[in-house]
Amino acid sequence: MFAAALWPINSDMALLLLLQSWSNWAPLVFVRDSKYGMPVVQSFHLMGLTILLATVLLLDLRLVGLGMSDYRFSWLARQLKPWTLGAFTVVISSGLLMFLATPGKYLGSRPFRLKMALLCLALLFHFGVLRRFTAADSDARSRRVDVLVACFSLLLWFGVGWAGRAIAFIP
Amino acid sequence: MSLFEWCQWLQHTRFATAISESDWLFPLIEGSHILALPLSVGMIVILDLHLLGIAFSDGPGRKLVLNLMRWCKIGFAVMFLTGGLLLVTQAGKAYGNAFFRTKLILLLLLGINAAAYQKLFFPKMAQWDSATGAPAGAKFCAGFSLLLWIGVIVCGRTMAYQF
Repeated sequence: MFAAALWPINSDMALLLLLQSWSNWAPLVFVRDSKYGMPVVQSFHLMGLTILLATVLLLDLRLVGLGMSDYRFSWLARQLKPWTLGAFTVVISSGLLMFLATPGKYLGSRPFRLKMALLCLALLFHFGVLRRFTAADSDARSRRVDVLVACFSLLLWFGVGWAGRAIAFIP
Repeated sequence: MSLFEWCQWLQHTRFATAISESDWLFPLIEGSHILALPLSVGMIVILDLHLLGIAFSDGPGRKLVLNLMRWCKIGFAVMFLTGGLLLVTQAGKAYGNAFFRTKLILLLLLGINAAAYQKLFFPKMAQWDSATGAPAGAKFCAGFSLLLWIGVIVCGRTMAYQF
């Protein structure tokens, strides 16, 4: 999974050239060069992130037993699901738009590669482990495992966030 | 000393320059400010969506408020602390910025809106159930809050482009 993060930075000149030719598509030029294009797209990215991570946080807090304790797992997971998926769609669309508009800024960026690797792990963990975990209300749950799953989920998702923020500061 | 001069002075204090010149302190504070969004604004948005009847609609609202607020307070504590530090390091630049000023006004309106909700509607939350939904006034507060928070995020993101 981390192969993408470790891939030699300069090996994909051809990909960069291809993406740069795509980035001359008029809507992408508008996003990149208009005064408020980028800030607006990034604002959507932040709004999506706010709701996406809020839904993840609530599930994780419930798992640890520090919040939403008045609700059953299955009910909570069912209520949050459409918002997780909706917010994820907003985050991915706005992120893709930024990537396609300024591919040069992201292709050679190590934090960006780390972010994508962490994102894949976070998604696999969320749908492969956490969702299955929270779908059942069994009393026979091990609290230690619950806490471990929640911490790992938070670590992965907030890792994605921090790696994203690092794009602006680290080459 | 005018407010602007005071902001300039603040931005150039040793405390402020130490933060803005640090390789890791400024990114750490700014990152925390952004990643505290889900814990602060995210919780409020979920509550607003509930009041509008489009999320968590088959559970009582009062219970939802009580479950969300504890963590929400921690989120906002991080927000104001990190936001305050960011402001100190950029006070002179922020002073005349239209987006920063708009953000402050929106936050003020959000405070008034939240206080009004707390006083007028929160005590009655046990009376309305999920079948009838929140009264029109409470829905108005929720919709207003959603719009204002969108404005705060847009202004916050855009002002950083102008510094």
